[in-house]
Amino acid sequence: MLLESLEAHQFRNLSGKISWGKGLNIIYGDNGQGKTNWLEAIYLLATTKSFRTPRLQEAIRFGEDLAVVRGQVSRSRDVQRDLQVTIQGNAKALSVNGKREAVMRYLSQLHTVAFTADELEVIRGGPEARRKFLDRGGISLHHSYVQTLSDYHRVIKQKNQLLHDVSDAEMSIAAARILIEPWNEQLVGLSAIIHRARADYVERLRQALETRLFGREEISIRYVSSLEGKGDLRDYEALIAERLQLRLQAEIASSRALIGPHRDDLEILFDGHDIRTFGSSGQQRSALILLDLAAISVYYLWHGEYPLFLMDDVDAELDRRRIGHLLEYLEGRTQTFVTTSKESLVKQFAARAIVYEVRDGEIVQRATSETDLITTIATGTSII
Amino acid sequence: MLEYSEPVVKLIDEFKRLPGIGQKTAQRLAFHILRMTNVEVERFVAAMQDVKLKIVMCSVCNNLTDVEPCRFCSSTSRDRSIICVIEEPYNLVAVEKTRSYHGLYHVLHGSLSPIRGMGPEDLRLQNLLPRLRPENNDGVEVLEVILATNPTTEGEATASYISRLLKPLGPRVTRIAMGMPVGSDLEYVDEVTMDKALTNRHEM
Ligand SMILES: [Zn+2]
Repeated sequence: MLLESLEAHQFRNLSGKISWGKGLNIIYGDNGQGKTNWLEAIYLLATTKSFRTPRLQEAIRFGEDLAVVRGQVSRSRDVQRDLQVTIQGNAKALSVNGKREAVMRYLSQLHTVAFTADELEVIRGGPEARRKFLDRGGISLHHSYVQTLSDYHRVIKQKNQLLHDVSDAEMSIAAARILIEPWNEQLVGLSAIIHRARADYVERLRQALETRLFGREEISIRYVSSLEGKGDLRDYEALIAERLQLRLQAEIASSRALIGPHRDDLEILFDGHDIRTFGSSGQQRSALILLDLAAISVYYLWHGEYPLFLMDDVDAELDRRRIGHLLEYLEGRTQTFVTTSKESLVKQFAARAIVYEVRDGEIVQRATSETDLITTIATGTSII
Repeated sequence: MLEYSEPVVKLIDEFKRLPGIGQKTAQRLAFHILRMTNVEVERFVAAMQDVKLKIVMCSVCNNLTDVEPCRFCSSTSRDRSIICVIEEPYNLVAVEKTRSYHGLYHVLHGSLSPIRGMGPEDLRLQNLLPRLRPENNDGVEVLEVILATNPTTEGEATASYISRLLKPLGPRVTRIAMGMPVGSDLEYVDEVTMDKALTNRHEM
């Protein structure tokens, strides 16, 4: 898939339309000029979310009440689609070819894998970041998985409240059971779908991992179910149903749902050691890149086309050797968007890239020797 | 200092209490009322008061009605051996539109939702169980109860809770099939989808 062009109105300090190259796009500019805003707009168009803030209304230009990001995506020579995300207050509207579309369908239109400073949480942070990484992958293969996750979180939220109420009321176990079982019944089915989707995705990642792209170290991953060691994971429904029964009293005592895939984790080992504690900062970044590349391969093997790859502040995240390896690997595969503030980096890769320069929110394509370019200038008004 | 004079602010606040109405819409509605003629306003107020005076909850099925018991419960042409359990009175409209259901109804006026403080005692369930006895149902035995709560997690939990309650009492308990979009509200389901959901209902 290819993002042909992007248009932004009142989204941060961006305005106007820009055409993108098919391969490597370098967005260059000093810090604070707004180069990451363009990356954020691409990410928003693909995921309907921002990688910088959970509150999208912050991205609406000050004093305006809505922001629009629109893009033209081509899936093949004949299939072109206009995608649009409109943010208005805390609501957003999604459309494909001018027609309103539900999030589940919308998400199948454009997929990105993004390496951002926040995503390093996958390696360094708690299990939640790793579960989210796997769930993004799960959604990229089966879009209906969005609904499963949303239902699951809703049931957990309801159950937590109920456990709290039941514990507060000092209800008998028998009486509590009658109230809790209708929720547990749903947890069994939803948990099984989530468990299988994640385990399956991890298996695909394992097979796609280029474990030694950056050096001699070996990276290995494994999905760790919180029910591991408690019984036969192959009959997940029966196992979790049994655990829910057995642990009911403990769940009431702690007023929290203790059983389910919201307690699972992804184990990431670098040369056999837990990367979170033993990996150097460079190794941690390498590991994340390898996971992202594996996610790209998995997507390609499933859908027969490559997702977009985004990387914010590439030189802050990786050394030149690793950037070189990475960009070489991606060449001929993904349409890639990276931001940088280093002129030297631009020079190093200018021959195989299209370079855009951002100054005061204004983005201009740099003149290059490439032939198949249409020079496009998008103007933006700066508010910073 | 208030943005508007006090009576206007009070009206805006009242509108904001209504479901789905925020500050902006409330302001628009309030200013619309200011522009209405006295006759129009009186008619509007009378309609609201009328609905409160004349509409009651059917003592049998909890449907909203202007006669007691409601037209469904007192009908001689409806099939009294089957009861369809729904969350809200407006869900009844979706089922009726299919024209393929001829049984009775039972309206819960809500669904189980701990985060909204809705437990079983907050649902209109107390009068469901007695209805299953022939002596309370014109001598007719109830053979099937269809649980047509919304296909949301709350609707599912409610259906599960009621099925556990009813099963020991004998009737067949079924759940409408989820051919409809998950997470949706029956209010927005068209009659074809609803018809399929009813036809393909399964045992609980
Ligand atoms: Zn009635």
